[in-house]
Amino acid sequence: MSIRAIIADDEELARHLLREYLAQQPDIELVGECENGFATVKAVADLKPDLLFLDVQMPKLDGFEVLELLDHNLAVVFVTAYDQYATKAFDAAAVDYLLKPFDLARFRTALDRVRQRVTSPPATVAAAELRNAALPPGRFAERIVIKDGARVHILPVGQIDYVEAQDDYLAFHSAGKTFLKQQTISSLEESLDPKQFVRVHRSFIVNLERITKIEAYTKDARLAILSGGAKIPVSRGGYLKLKEVMSV
Amino acid sequence: MHPLFQNRNSLFAYFFAWVPLGAMLGVVVSAAAHLNWRATAAIVAPVTLLMAFVCLSPWYVCRALPLKGTPTWKLLSHHWVAATLASAFVPSIVPLFLLTFASRIQGSPISLEPTMRVLASMCFLFYLLSIALHYVLQTLESTRQAEVLSREAELKALKAQVNPHFLFNSLNSISALTTIDPAKAREMCIRLSDFLRNSLRLGERMSIPFGEELALASTYLDVEQVRFGKRLRVTQSFDPACDACEVPPLLVQPLVENAIKHGIASLAEGGEIYLTAQLSDGRMLFSVENPFDPDAPAQRKSGFGLLNVRNRLRARYGTAARLDIDPGPGKYRVSLTVPFTKEPVK
Repeated sequence: MSIRAIIADDEELARHLLREYLAQQPDIELVGECENGFATVKAVADLKPDLLFLDVQMPKLDGFEVLELLDHNLAVVFVTAYDQYATKAFDAAAVDYLLKPFDLARFRTALDRVRQRVTSPPATVAAAELRNAALPPGRFAERIVIKDGARVHILPVGQIDYVEAQDDYLAFHSAGKTFLKQQTISSLEESLDPKQFVRVHRSFIVNLERITKIEAYTKDARLAILSGGAKIPVSRGGYLKLKEVMSV
Repeated sequence: MHPLFQNRNSLFAYFFAWVPLGAMLGVVVSAAAHLNWRATAAIVAPVTLLMAFVCLSPWYVCRALPLKGTPTWKLLSHHWVAATLASAFVPSIVPLFLLTFASRIQGSPISLEPTMRVLASMCFLFYLLSIALHYVLQTLESTRQAEVLSREAELKALKAQVNPHFLFNSLNSISALTTIDPAKAREMCIRLSDFLRNSLRLGERMSIPFGEELALASTYLDVEQVRFGKRLRVTQSFDPACDACEVPPLLVQPLVENAIKHGIASLAEGGEIYLTAQLSDGRMLFSVENPFDPDAPAQRKSGFGLLNVRNRLRARYGTAARLDIDPGPGKYRVSLTVPFTKEPVK
């Protein structure tokens, strides 16, 4: 059985090099090439390959965002020029990563790992959490990517009103619309700028800029009223966090 | 704390400098009040010592009222009040106990009035001189700091110069070209070497003709052209008269690099970079315009490159140069305005 592979890289020469190396591997069949993140997500959904060579810097969606949106379980080999922060994330998320430029021997080592991985697939990793690991210290997510059937929404974090945890999903509320994404609220909390987003409750994260007032509700609980009219429960601990952030 | 107190030698030198001032004061006082030299010394020595301490106090006032940014009336009124207070306070120790002591040495009573008049006016004068000196020191210090800052900014610029992404991606392109088109691979090696060599060479100089700056940016674009192929299109419109204008090195290249990194690289179909340079009213205007993907995260990391260029402009030209950023819809435009000069900065 041959391994079906896709190459995703925006540079023609970089794709050419991978194509050339792959041509020497009889057990790997190249089924597609993509020049940007959107095309990659679509190609993986349509072609269901076993292996993806994924460049990190790409137009539309970067490699990590692509990874978040893949629901098909496949082996990923990251290909990148330079990223001092991401290597740890690569280790966790990918079968291997190749640093450009790489030689044929290094490429073969990566393929050996792929062959082992394809025959015995490990548990899936939470891609959204890997994104956090790849961000340099002090930098936070600037947008959230959400897959909705065949469509991909890109939500800049500034447009988020609040986020509510619902079982395994997060509901992102933005200007009256709701987007669902499979992610844990703790991993989202970590990736957002704590000066703008505060987890005011076990299941709620709120955008500070949307809060118009905070009302007492019961003895320990309060309600945050947002500019859109939504009422968000604020726990005791959440209220302390809010006070701390807002007084700074 | 006055910086003089941080160093015993400079504090000693300061008080030593007051010895001739005290002698001068003695000459004037003894002439005005008809005193012998011992009685003069008994009065003038303690007064001079006190005055030396009081004349350190303008350091605080000068720091609170920097010459730049404080209205003239405020400067004048505050320092006038301070000088008046100082000239009233310092001679006031004379009638307290010095006068009786000096009269005993003199052997006859001393009239207070001429002594006080001379001391007060001299104190006023010394205090004003001290203010002036403090401002001179302040200016020297800030100039020195500005030099350190501009040096640091330049060093940072050099470090940031060879962007690892650019370097490794270019090497990867060369690696791919070796089998497709060996001649082109060799050509790209040479272009890349030219670029690295020139950016090192230009970075060492304080000032370079704008023409060399453009040549460097153009080598950079040649290398990127191989990477991006048809996705990168460049249009240039330069007035050849700009070539002679002396500028700090490596101002243009970071702007062009940003245009690629945040513009062309973010667009699947690529786009056109538009470069212009022209002269107007004794100034040179250079601009870079590039399309970008409005959905991409807002100009990641570009802040550093632009901040660096801005800092170096300020270090060289003060307020005479400008860097304007216009993130228009779909097009990002950065323009640089510097005074036109053919004089290199040493």
